[in-house]
Amino acid sequence: MFDIRATFSKVDRRLMAVILIAVLFLCLWVASTAFSKYIVFIITLIGVYIVASASLNLTNGYTGLFSLGHAGFMAVGAYTSALLTFPVKGREIFVIPKLPMFLGGPEAAWPFLPALVMGGVFAAILAAVVGLPVLRLRGHYLSVASLGLMVLVTALAMNLRNLTRGSIGINSIPTYTNIWWAYGCAVVTVYVVWRVVNSSFGRAMKAIREDEIAARVQGINPLKYKLLAFTIGAFFAGIAGGLYAHISGAIRPYAFSFNLTFQIVIMVVLGGQGTISGPIVGTVLVTVLRYVLKPLEEALGVYGLVELIYALLLIITMLRKPEGIMGRKSGGPRGGRWVGSLGGKKS
Amino acid sequence: MLKVDGIDVHYGVIPAVRELSLSVDKGQVATLVGANGAGKTTTLKAIMGTLPAKRGTIRYKGEEITGVPADRRVGMGIALVPEGRQIFSRLTVGENLALGAYHRKDKEAIKKDREWIYTLFPVLRERINQLAGTLSGGEQQMLALGRGLMSHPELLMLDEPSLGLAPIVVVDIYEVIKEINRSGITVLLVEQNINMAMKISSYAYIMETGKIRTEGAPNEVMKRENIMKAYLGE
Amino acid sequence: MIVLTPEYIIQQIFNGIVFGAMYALLALGMTVIYGILRLIHFAHGALITVGSFCFYLLFMVLGLPFPAAIVLVIGLGALMGLILDMVAYKKAVGGPEVSMLITSLGFYIFIENLMKLIVSPQPYAFQSPPFLDTIYSMPVLTFRTIDIFIIATSIAIMVFFTLFVKKTKMGVAMRATSESGEAARMVGINIGRVISISFIIASAIAAITGFMWGAKYGQIAYNMGFMAGVKAFVAIVIGGVGSIPGAMLGGFILGILETFSVAFLPPGYAAYRDGIVFFILILILIVKPSGILGQREVE
Repeated sequence: MFDIRATFSKVDRRLMAVILIAVLFLCLWVASTAFSKYIVFIITLIGVYIVASASLNLTNGYTGLFSLGHAGFMAVGAYTSALLTFPVKGREIFVIPKLPMFLGGPEAAWPFLPALVMGGVFAAILAAVVGLPVLRLRGHYLSVASLGLMVLVTALAMNLRNLTRGSIGINSIPTYTNIWWAYGCAVVTVYVVWRVVNSSFGRAMKAIREDEIAARVQGINPLKYKLLAFTIGAFFAGIAGGLYAHISGAIRPYAFSFNLTFQIVIMVVLGGQGTISGPIVGTVLVTVLRYVLKPLEEALGVYGLVELIYALLLIITMLRKPEGIMGRKSGGPRGGRWVGSLGGKKS
Repeated sequence: MLKVDGIDVHYGVIPAVRELSLSVDKGQVATLVGANGAGKTTTLKAIMGTLPAKRGTIRYKGEEITGVPADRRVGMGIALVPEGRQIFSRLTVGENLALGAYHRKDKEAIKKDREWIYTLFPVLRERINQLAGTLSGGEQQMLALGRGLMSHPELLMLDEPSLGLAPIVVVDIYEVIKEINRSGITVLLVEQNINMAMKISSYAYIMETGKIRTEGAPNEVMKRENIMKAYLGE
Repeated sequence: MIVLTPEYIIQQIFNGIVFGAMYALLALGMTVIYGILRLIHFAHGALITVGSFCFYLLFMVLGLPFPAAIVLVIGLGALMGLILDMVAYKKAVGGPEVSMLITSLGFYIFIENLMKLIVSPQPYAFQSPPFLDTIYSMPVLTFRTIDIFIIATSIAIMVFFTLFVKKTKMGVAMRATSESGEAARMVGINIGRVISISFIIASAIAAITGFMWGAKYGQIAYNMGFMAGVKAFVAIVIGGVGSIPGAMLGGFILGILETFSVAFLPPGYAAYRDGIVFFILILILIVKPSGILGQREVE
């Protein structure tokens, strides 16, 4: 059973992807030499946010769960990576604790990549611990529990002063994140999401989203898949947090509040949940919008304008085109069941 | 009384009923039988209005009601006693019955209907303050029927009233259905229990994969069906 | 160090009940909406912000008499509820449940930032009317009139609401709809109307809770509603999702737990206040997800 056409299209797709990535990096190279530092910073930031939004999409877009805790996982990644990489010389001055023996001892500071990965791992562990009990319940509980997790993480970041320096936050973090790191991670994240979605794993997740009971009958264990999706999503959120720490050079607990979660949620929803390109498009739009509107907001002194417009965009998207910019319309059984049993309980 | 003409009904994205037509005359007991998944329940829900008909028309007492929402159809005299009964288990028996008359304002007539229901199902009177969820299966079916009757219907649709009940209870329920029909209420019955249904009906439709396969007087239909079975080994 | 005298404990329980009464009122509205739409109504919290600022404007700025201000606040809350229902949920109903959740989130952020634009990001000092500010000192308990006002009003609202849900036709229809929307339609209930009325009642209650909140804390801000709303949902989970008495009970328990966590833990931990609430939430979700009075609801 050798299907030439299928093989060709597969090769084509792969080739396309490689070409696309090459073009992307070429553009990035041109951009990084041609544009001002500020513009390059924004472009880099978009890369960081793509890591965050693509990973949130894995949880929210493909499994029908709705996590609101992404900023919490990003905080874990950011603090982990910042604390691990902080230069030994500066630790005394900035009152950053030295590393314990099992992490390399007081004279060590981690290189960027392992620290970044470690941040992701911590976030993933946290997600697994919380997800295991909560994901057994109806999807809605995850929204509130993950939101609660975010509040808890921020509260810890505020109060574990010996570790995090409380509300002052950590400054002078080495700014390792450049355009290459950001987009390198973004490409990896998108690739992983794509691979996951187009595997038997991904098909199972979609089956769960469409009809959990039917999926169960087919022998799919929803908990396992939801937990994996949630955990992988959290891992990349941790990476995004780490990248963020090393681009801004300073992190404070307040930076990882609900506003950040909301911003990433709208990137995903606006672009199109459950599509590969959606979060990317959404991230570019939302970030550009922010940096276009920010000066206006400051000039007019109307603080909250950016969020107000985000919220409006979100509401309009949900009411007019809930599948988002890149999404295709689907009257899936989920919606259908609602028509049939308006407000009815799912058993 | 009821005339359904060429309706398509989707259940979610799945087209469950295609180009279905049927009609029920006043005072009749009509039956819709067919295998599991043939689209019987979907048809009833479309007539009730809880599922929209994508195409075709539904006329009731000469009036087109295709676009009328379900809750207003109740006021027009259509009632559905749904499959699996769907009584409100966290409400009392009394509250369930009262909800049946939700759209009605004629206090005296409601009282009369309630008394009539109590004579049909004396057990409901005894259990009036009990939570509906604590009733037995047969009692729940009685409550569902009672709730349907409380709306003072002219067309009563029953979706598998014998489902999951002990044979002796089924006989009782069918006695009551006959009684309801004798009181002047038109009945459209959906059943998998073909023998029981055919006995009390005057017209029958056989459904298969979203369509009417055959229709006619019950004994005619049964004969044809038996021949089909013999030929096709279904 | 805190001295655990009986007086101190009684005082803290009292404080907990006052806060709990407000959580209970919010939870009441949210649980009705959750019951019918399976929606965590994030925008519910925004209504206490609107309610409190509206009272501030009417009473402190415009100088309206207290009862008039309260009635207007309630009316405005009801109107907001109706608008939310008409603009947001009429269209979203019929889509996936998660769409409504996102819409609600959007509306919360919208209202919060609109408030931020209108009233500025600074908190406002909120003065209760003088007759609610009298302090009574008893041997075991010190309280202000507003505390009594909050407890009495909340209990009155809860009693009325319970009677409404138990005895009136619309109340029974609400309970029926929250059990099964489809069956409710089959008996002739106009679900759209049930939803609208739920939103109106819940929002009116939230608006008057906004006044209480401001009077109790003495300070109001554009973002006060978020945590209040989310904590009200925590109260629902504690009491048991789907149960109206559960929501009220959960509100009181949450109020007392939160007050205790601040009152009895060493001073350094007071900053964990919100964190502790969510820690309780996650703990309950692990140990007894159906809450105290709720039915089990899995997936």
